[in-house]
Amino acid sequence: MNIVVLVKSAVDEAELKADQSGHPVLKGAATKMSAFDMNGVEEAVKLKEKNGGTVIVLTLGGPEAKKAIKEAMAMGGTKAVHVLAEAADAPDSLGTAYCLAQAIKRIGAVDLVVSSEGASDTYQGEVGAMVAEFLDLPFIAYAKKVETDGVKVRCEQGLRGTVRVLEARLPAVVSVVSEANVPRYPTLLQVMVAGKKAIEDVPIASLKGPDYPDTGTVVVDVSVQSASRKRVIFDGTPEEAARKLAGALKQEGVL
Amino acid sequence: MTGAVLSYSESPDLAGEVAAAGQEVAKMLGAEAVSLELDEVSPGLLTANKVVLVKGELPLEAIADSAAAGILELVKARGFGALLIAETRFGTIVAAKVAARLRVGSLGKGKKLRVDEGRLVIERDVYGGRFTATVASRLPCVAVVQAGAYEAADASPGPAESVAVTVGEPKVAITQTKQGQQGEAGIKSALKIVSAGRGFARKEDLVIAQDLASALGASLGCSRPLSSDLGWMGEEAHIGLTGAYVHPQLYVAIGISGQLQHVAGIKDSKVIVAINKDAHAPIFQVADYGIVGDLYEVVPALTKALKQG
Repeated sequence: MNIVVLVKSAVDEAELKADQSGHPVLKGAATKMSAFDMNGVEEAVKLKEKNGGTVIVLTLGGPEAKKAIKEAMAMGGTKAVHVLAEAADAPDSLGTAYCLAQAIKRIGAVDLVVSSEGASDTYQGEVGAMVAEFLDLPFIAYAKKVETDGVKVRCEQGLRGTVRVLEARLPAVVSVVSEANVPRYPTLLQVMVAGKKAIEDVPIASLKGPDYPDTGTVVVDVSVQSASRKRVIFDGTPEEAARKLAGALKQEGVL
Repeated sequence: MTGAVLSYSESPDLAGEVAAAGQEVAKMLGAEAVSLELDEVSPGLLTANKVVLVKGELPLEAIADSAAAGILELVKARGFGALLIAETRFGTIVAAKVAARLRVGSLGKGKKLRVDEGRLVIERDVYGGRFTATVASRLPCVAVVQAGAYEAADASPGPAESVAVTVGEPKVAITQTKQGQQGEAGIKSALKIVSAGRGFARKEDLVIAQDLASALGASLGCSRPLSSDLGWMGEEAHIGLTGAYVHPQLYVAIGISGQLQHVAGIKDSKVIVAINKDAHAPIFQVADYGIVGDLYEVVPALTKALKQG
């Protein structure tokens, strides 16, 4: 069984700094595999371990994305395909999905594509569904349990207050939520071996056909949010502090 | 003239908000605002818009495939200026599918929609809610409207027009359905929320948070570990980046450390209260009022103080 897992290299949002004008300092910012994608990789590797086959790590990003790819390889990826797009050429979500779908078509004979519920930096959560549309494949979203017999994929999905079991024929695309599993920590040996595994580089331009969807969607600005909170701490015994807090809430008019 | 601005909500609780967003965008474009309903018009729908009921032979709302296909059939026949979908997980998938099928821009989930030089512009949280991205797309395009970003119009719907569409058999089949926890929209529109985190030692102790919630008339939510790792509460109660974005008047975080992922979902709250035994917990940085102390002592004392008025 050939499984493609979609992995995004994301800026570490907790470490990201703003410059004096309030824009994020992305140049040289620390990156890592998007946190939720670790659950995607874990699920793909688990399915491979159970059913045999390969896990192909597929990433779209700049040269810095090699780090995320290696992290995914250390978790058990068999090989990797890196769609190289410099920041200036970074497509919108639809363009990203189109290029990933094109890359999957090139890989050929893919049984299952696994994505996560969203990226930790933008959290748009749409690329998996869009890839499925471009490939005209069934898509099961937000799976918390994934099983396959090589013919069909069956997932449990908790959504809208209901748990559903959904089933689709392979090939298919599935997105997993982080409840699905606990990602493994690779051993030092696995990290070292992963560093030597081949990564195939594919320039993004080579994937863009005449049907590339140019939607004119652009990020106009990114600015830091200012959180102005009162940050008042009430002290005293629990009873005293609680009374002061109750008083403050009454004054705020939120009771 | 620009095609109609369509709004759609899978959750009846958010239909009024997304309809209001649709109306605002329609006004900016000089276009008609239309509220879409799939399968049936939900009772108590708050929208001043014209309502178009989209009906297929198979239930459209059962599966994102069919919902997207139903909307697509309508849009193909009539065109559209923009499609606004209320923020739910289901809605996010429908938005992605429609955008991909039509090859139009998808702005993602955000607020403060506006029209600028013929483009639709949205403001959305990025980098764990620490930054705002302003994103623009050519029309027509698709956007997901964040819960709480618009006030639901207090109005009764215009006359409903029913449109029958033909959609194929979905590629995904539902083989089993069981009732889960409370619907996700409930907490999204709550005016007061008491939220529990890892500071609680045992599931049974959540009664302390529940007592406070009852005294306040608040809904009970939680941080991710309680729903995902421990399973103490349903995943619909989970507040944060990957769960519900909430915007209550009052948010009380109990035993929640305040990781970025959680804070992303609560920062639109009017007043944030934190109760935590660790004075250095990041939650205090984003709180209006805080008490550093043992939740097992502080919370019952607060419940008592509130009951005494």
